[in-house]
Amino acid sequence: MLIKDVMHSPVLTVDETVSLEAAYAIMLQRNIRHIPVTREGQVVGMVTDRDIRLATSALARGGAKGLETPVREVMSHPVVSGDPLDPVEEAARVMRERKIGALPVMEGSQMVGIVTGIDLLEALLRLTGVHRPSGRLEVRLLDRPGELAGLTRLLAERGINIHSLLTYATDSDTLNAVVRVGTLDTHRLAAELRQSGFEVRWPPSKPLSHPEP
Amino acid sequence: MSVPVFYSPHYLRYTFGPQHPFSPLRLEMLLDLLQALGQAPLYLEPPQATREEVRSVHLESFVRRVETASRGENLPDLAAYGLGTGDTPIFPDMDGATRWLVGGTLEAARTILRGTASEVLQLGGGLHHAQADLASGFCVYNDLSIAIRHLSQQGLRVAYIDIDVHHGDGVQWIHYDEAEVLTFSIHESGRYLFPGTGHLHEIGKAAGTGRKLNLPLEPFTEDASYLEVFQMTLEPALKWFRPDVLLVQCGADAHYQDPLAEILLTTQAYAQLFSLLRQYARAFAAGKVIYTLGGGYHLDATSRVWTMLYLSLQDQALPDHLPQPWLERWGTRLGHFLTHTLHDPPGSYSEIPRRLEIERRNRQVAQRMLETVQPYWH
Repeated sequence: MLIKDVMHSPVLTVDETVSLEAAYAIMLQRNIRHIPVTREGQVVGMVTDRDIRLATSALARGGAKGLETPVREVMSHPVVSGDPLDPVEEAARVMRERKIGALPVMEGSQMVGIVTGIDLLEALLRLTGVHRPSGRLEVRLLDRPGELAGLTRLLAERGINIHSLLTYATDSDTLNAVVRVGTLDTHRLAAELRQSGFEVRWPPSKPLSHPEP
Repeated sequence: MSVPVFYSPHYLRYTFGPQHPFSPLRLEMLLDLLQALGQAPLYLEPPQATREEVRSVHLESFVRRVETASRGENLPDLAAYGLGTGDTPIFPDMDGATRWLVGGTLEAARTILRGTASEVLQLGGGLHHAQADLASGFCVYNDLSIAIRHLSQQGLRVAYIDIDVHHGDGVQWIHYDEAEVLTFSIHESGRYLFPGTGHLHEIGKAAGTGRKLNLPLEPFTEDASYLEVFQMTLEPALKWFRPDVLLVQCGADAHYQDPLAEILLTTQAYAQLFSLLRQYARAFAAGKVIYTLGGGYHLDATSRVWTMLYLSLQDQALPDHLPQPWLERWGTRLGHFLTHTLHDPPGSYSEIPRRLEIERRNRQVAQRMLETVQPYWH
């Protein structure tokens, strides 16, 4: 998943001479929190609703600025940006490290889109979500070559489609694989996996199959 | 007056093979048990649903593929329609066999429309996972939605209630934007169980917003918590919606013995559920209600739960013990002992250590679901 797959375009921008009041009105009207600021069409900064509210507040360092102040006086610069062909986790890393809420996406000097924190949450939902009716299987695997292959081979032999697959390390030796599988009967699958030596974390085994006579 | 029952020996043709959990044995055991109890149903045989009736819900492209697969011909894209998968393998005349089940649910709906009965039992159907263009989770055509469409086209407001342990996703998505159809599904949370949907924030769209209700429960939920949140949410919903008829999918797979899921209902809870549903039909839908079967994969538990459904609808007393000949016949056939009482024996499963936490979380989900949909109830 690349930045270009989750970014929004076209991007709304304001010229650096636009007043704080006008920029804030645009944010309210469009329900957005970040606007790239341009000079002669080139992106030179970013301004957020928080920048504007703070600059015009009594709490602002050096006193409140007037509403007619141009945005260039409160914008952040230089701009931290991303490339449309960067993987989406790269955008997440930059935004997390720089603690920023939006990333203009640049192709050379041309802005082609913008990625916000909400877009990254959307990407997370697409990566972890349920798009086809499916069951959930969670298996703990040893962290070594061929373990995952053993799991997927067993699924393939039973004609079971894998809709999505996530793994995360649990400790230094093991990882959990969360597999969304195209079957309702995950218990039968889990029993077969356990018989083949896999540690299935979900679904649990059911001891209560038959009542006592 | 006894409650009319729809059934046809043709229903037994809906079978995915001997190893498949959605087995027609469930119906055979049920009917045999009712007979052994001296309660053999005098069932009415419904007509097979027509292609046009199926098309009222399903897309032409999908129906054509079911028909093709039915004839044993292969198409490269069948799997994209959910056909020929591990859960929904192709079997000869699967189109015709499914249309028999659809016919029963549809005939139950027609009976309500004719006004000749107010309570009707369809001993089959409940194929709630089938979508407009997708066979899924053992379901080929969606008999429930085809019946709902027929009822709503005649101007009736339908409240669909789904107590199967799996989310009633097919019915929900088919009627997602419809104002005249309320859907209510109580199920094990999609975070853990197939089909993965049925979160409380799935509330419908457009004119249907606030009219699609989901109660996703924690795994290992027990009787008391289940009944608490069921009443807490369904009662106000029906009171507000004022349906003309209820359609209830009575899957029996929330029973603790069920091999496919993790909800721990006992037969005691089912007895109360069936009694509550009848009360709700009388209080909120002028007594009009259609019951269908559904999931339920522990043959022993499922035949007992559905026997309770049948007997309580016919106002018959529930026996304590099951007839010995039936126990022997099916015990031999299945190769294991069967529960010899209609109700579960006491102390059937070990204590659940997280019980209080499970109850608290279910209550919170029920509360949040109501808070999410109630702003749209006006």
